[in-house]
Amino acid sequence: MPHCTPEQLSLAALREPLPETDRAHLDGCAECRAEVASLRRGVDALAVPQLAAPGAAVLPPPSVWAGIAAATGVTTAPRPEALAAAAPPPPVAVPPAPAVDVPPAAAPERAPAAVVPLRTRRSRLLLAAAASLVVGVGIGAGAVALGTGDDDGLAVAAAALDPLAGSGASGQARVVERDDGSRALELTLDAAPLDEGYYEVWLLDEAVARLVPVGVVQGGGDTTLELPPGLDLGEYPVVDVSVEPLDGDPSHSGESVVRGVLES
Amino acid sequence: MTDLLERGGVRVRVGRVSSDGVPPLGGTPEPDDAEVGRRFAAGDEQALARAYERFAGQVHGMAVRAFGPGPDAEDVTQQVFVSAWTGRTGYRPEQGPLPAWLVGICRHKIADTWARRDRQRRATEAAVTEARSAANTTGPQVDTVVADRVLLLGELEQLGQPQRGIIELAFFEDLTHTQIAERTGLPLGTVKSHIRRTLERLRTRLEVDGAALHA
Repeated sequence: MPHCTPEQLSLAALREPLPETDRAHLDGCAECRAEVASLRRGVDALAVPQLAAPGAAVLPPPSVWAGIAAATGVTTAPRPEALAAAAPPPPVAVPPAPAVDVPPAAAPERAPAAVVPLRTRRSRLLLAAAASLVVGVGIGAGAVALGTGDDDGLAVAAAALDPLAGSGASGQARVVERDDGSRALELTLDAAPLDEGYYEVWLLDEAVARLVPVGVVQGGGDTTLELPPGLDLGEYPVVDVSVEPLDGDPSHSGESVVRGVLES
Repeated sequence: MTDLLERGGVRVRVGRVSSDGVPPLGGTPEPDDAEVGRRFAAGDEQALARAYERFAGQVHGMAVRAFGPGPDAEDVTQQVFVSAWTGRTGYRPEQGPLPAWLVGICRHKIADTWARRDRQRRATEAAVTEARSAANTTGPQVDTVVADRVLLLGELEQLGQPQRGIIELAFFEDLTHTQIAERTGLPLGTVKSHIRRTLERLRTRLEVDGAALHA
């Protein structure tokens, strides 16, 4: 078959799904793959969550305007009530996921406020790619460990769980699919035992707006949690573990200790 | 550890959208965003305050998303408005709304902050290496992606419309080419060929200047 068109290769560099014929060609053509890789360096540099379109507004402290006024010499000032109306206090209390591929820096000392929206098209695409067993092209090293069958099912997705807000906790999660189609989340959580309360596992959507509770776990061990049939991991790809008090409130406490994105 | 696990009383809440507009001050009707943009470009100080009222939350939200709350994010937000004001003659209302321009400046400031941290990291590592009198193999490596970002954001600035808007929708709003065509009303083929040309242009920029930078 002829090479993919330059336009299709550009879409592939953006990680858009390609028509079946293009995908099949790309699988077997080193030349086209090299072209995609060379175009993707720019995509990978710029299409990162930290540079994405603005998400939740956060009201800056008054010192910020003071600095602007000092630097520019302007004598006007924003009206506090107008500022507050345009930028309400951060509406979501779930701490942000740790920034990836950012040079190390002093950890923020105050409580986190905003949520890092995660990219949508990519992980969905990765899941779709795994579903159709198109593995091997353009999928990162994370895919290497997958696809190895074992007694309790085939791993279809995995996530490294990174600590949030300096919790010091960490973990690994993977989703296994068994022959009968049932799925389970296998979780290894390295976190301090709690005197009160418990750790709860959630699957979140990428906007960190909707969530599905998956089960209760203890720190420092391996747990297997059954996933509800029909749950779309493309919609809820974020594994989150929170500390929950014994207060009878079934909602997320807002205190997450680890989080990671499932990738296939 | 226990401190971190203590209850903060925070709960996950559904995002609250403030729909109340700002009441007019002294009976004067509020200028719309386009009017604020025109006055901003013309150097009206009142427009800087109005722009801050309306858009500082978005800008600061981006900065907090990148760096977490604290001094780094506050510096970025402050720099965005100071740079925008001192460079206001560079704002072209016909090229896009003021908040989009501010967001573009914010991306630069975020990328600059990453680059500065990378320089500091290398300076520290170099000092450590020297102090140890270690065998002089290779010096601290430039973080290629960090350097690429600064370079490529500059290249995006050079793009005219509609190329720039199209690639920004792909990069920063995560839209597919089909969604971009729907959003912009441009034919699919046009969107695809603009994407192609822009990605080639970015690649060329990296090949020419990226290589020199990393040599």
